[in-house]
Amino acid sequence: MSKTPALETRQLVYAVDGRTILHGIDLRVDYGEVVGIMGASGSGKTTLLKCLCGLVKPTAGEVWVEGVNIALLSERERMPLRLRLGIVFQYAALFDYLTVFQNVAFGLERHRRLSKAQIREIVRERLAWVGLEGIEDLYPSQLSGGMRKRVGLARALAMDPHIVLFDEPTSGLDPVNAYQIDRLITRLNRELGLTAVVVSHDVVSLMRTTHRIVMLDAGRIVAEGTPDAIRASDHPQVQAFLQMASAERL
Amino acid sequence: MWLDEESPRRQGALQASLEFVGALGLLLFASLRGILQARIELRETLHQMAFIGAASAPIVALTSAFTGAVVTLYSASLLVDVGGGGFVGGAIALAMTRELAPILTGIMVTARCGSAIAAQLGTMKITEQIDALRALAVSPVQYLVIPRVLASLAMFPMLCMSANAAGVLGGWAVAQAFGVATNTFLQSIRLLTEPFDLIGGLLKTLVFALIVSLVSCQQGLGTRGGAAGVGHATTRAVVLSMVLIFAANYFLADLLFAER
Ligand SMILES: Nc1ncnc2c1ncn2[C@@H]1O[C@H](COP(=O)(O)OP(=O)(O)OP(=O)(O)O)[C@@H](O)[C@H]1O
Ligand SMILES: [Mg+2]
Repeated sequence: MSKTPALETRQLVYAVDGRTILHGIDLRVDYGEVVGIMGASGSGKTTLLKCLCGLVKPTAGEVWVEGVNIALLSERERMPLRLRLGIVFQYAALFDYLTVFQNVAFGLERHRRLSKAQIREIVRERLAWVGLEGIEDLYPSQLSGGMRKRVGLARALAMDPHIVLFDEPTSGLDPVNAYQIDRLITRLNRELGLTAVVVSHDVVSLMRTTHRIVMLDAGRIVAEGTPDAIRASDHPQVQAFLQMASAERL
Repeated sequence: MWLDEESPRRQGALQASLEFVGALGLLLFASLRGILQARIELRETLHQMAFIGAASAPIVALTSAFTGAVVTLYSASLLVDVGGGGFVGGAIALAMTRELAPILTGIMVTARCGSAIAAQLGTMKITEQIDALRALAVSPVQYLVIPRVLASLAMFPMLCMSANAAGVLGGWAVAQAFGVATNTFLQSIRLLTEPFDLIGGLLKTLVFALIVSLVSCQQGLGTRGGAAGVGHATTRAVVLSMVLIFAANYFLADLLFAER
């Protein structure tokens, strides 16, 4: 076998309320790779990400994170793994009773031995990465949807995880900010070797940022390959996505 | 564990109650383990102590004063007529310390804080804030449940003390109106009550504190669905807490006071 992948699922099945949402997913993400996941609304992208970081327990199958099968671990045993793995939630999931500063600093204050000044510096820097400045003292309810999303991004990046799962990081952002976030992901990957899984509806942005794209349909992987291979794919669902994207560019 | 495994929506009453007891037991176990490992969020605990304790004190005292007053209204009108004015103070002190103050503390805090805890945790659950906590490697038990349990354990006895004081004071005011002298009132308290009446009552509130905090947290963290789900969780937290408090109160009374 080749070297350990950063993330791997084997025959991952997830069912809830008697409905099967993921039907045997086999996915492999190597270190330093950016993998895109696209698929229609309700195809199970968010569920897949939650399985990957151990927030939900798979019904069957294996989920390997850095060489450990987390499907077998208890919630307590899964905790330390999460220090090295960041997740950006689709709807930001900011702590609504804490300020932006406290949100971004949340993990740092609990898991890192840093001075107040160091924490303040890291928070300022991460917020600058996502194009936000001077909003440290605002509460999430005082922010726009796109701003919240970017604070969620800053919060996930504050802990310097080496694997990050992005759930639609650019949806709801204006094109300029969306482009900046794409650039940020690419830069983190090139400069720091960040491993990333990016869920997105934005085909153009996925083509730009990822090394490999996985197409999910109704809980199954229906196509997989490099952006070029995906572009050449004749799978009808993939084609539909691509056509909409090229129509958009007109 | 209960945090990441959703239970089916529809189930029998027996299965539901068994699951509730199981979830409560697991939460108690996880909390005890966290406390023993001294993983305590100090700031959050102090915050909860202010919310559960200080902020509840006025309403607990107020309801207790009126309860002490009304109980004395009945007992004094009876006792004074038959020449038992010397028992009025002792009767109200006994009733407050053993029964009324602990129960009133439990009920008022359930209404005021149990509902708030369930609603807050329930909202955090459905807006994925609980998931966000876990994603940042912070245990919801450690960060949310333990502070509320500890704050309740610390503040319930204090609230009960203030309920005792207010209740006896309310009784005293009414006794005055019936012509019972202050001296006689105090004398009869000294005569009829002993320290264990007070201590036993305070011990009861420790059990009530566990009930309210654990049930409210468990219901909040188990919330499903949207705003309606939060509403259900809040209602259930209050109803279950109250029922369990009254049931526990009977057994505690039997255990603590029946022999006396
Ligand atoms: N907690 C839950 N209980 C029941 N069903 C759920 C739950 N969460 C998700 N589902 C179902 O699982 C399916 C996949 O949901 P998921 O959120 O993973 O989709 P998605 O691909 O992320 O969609 P979107 O692009 O709209 O975010 C949906 O059909 C949804 O109805
Ligand atoms: Mg989604």
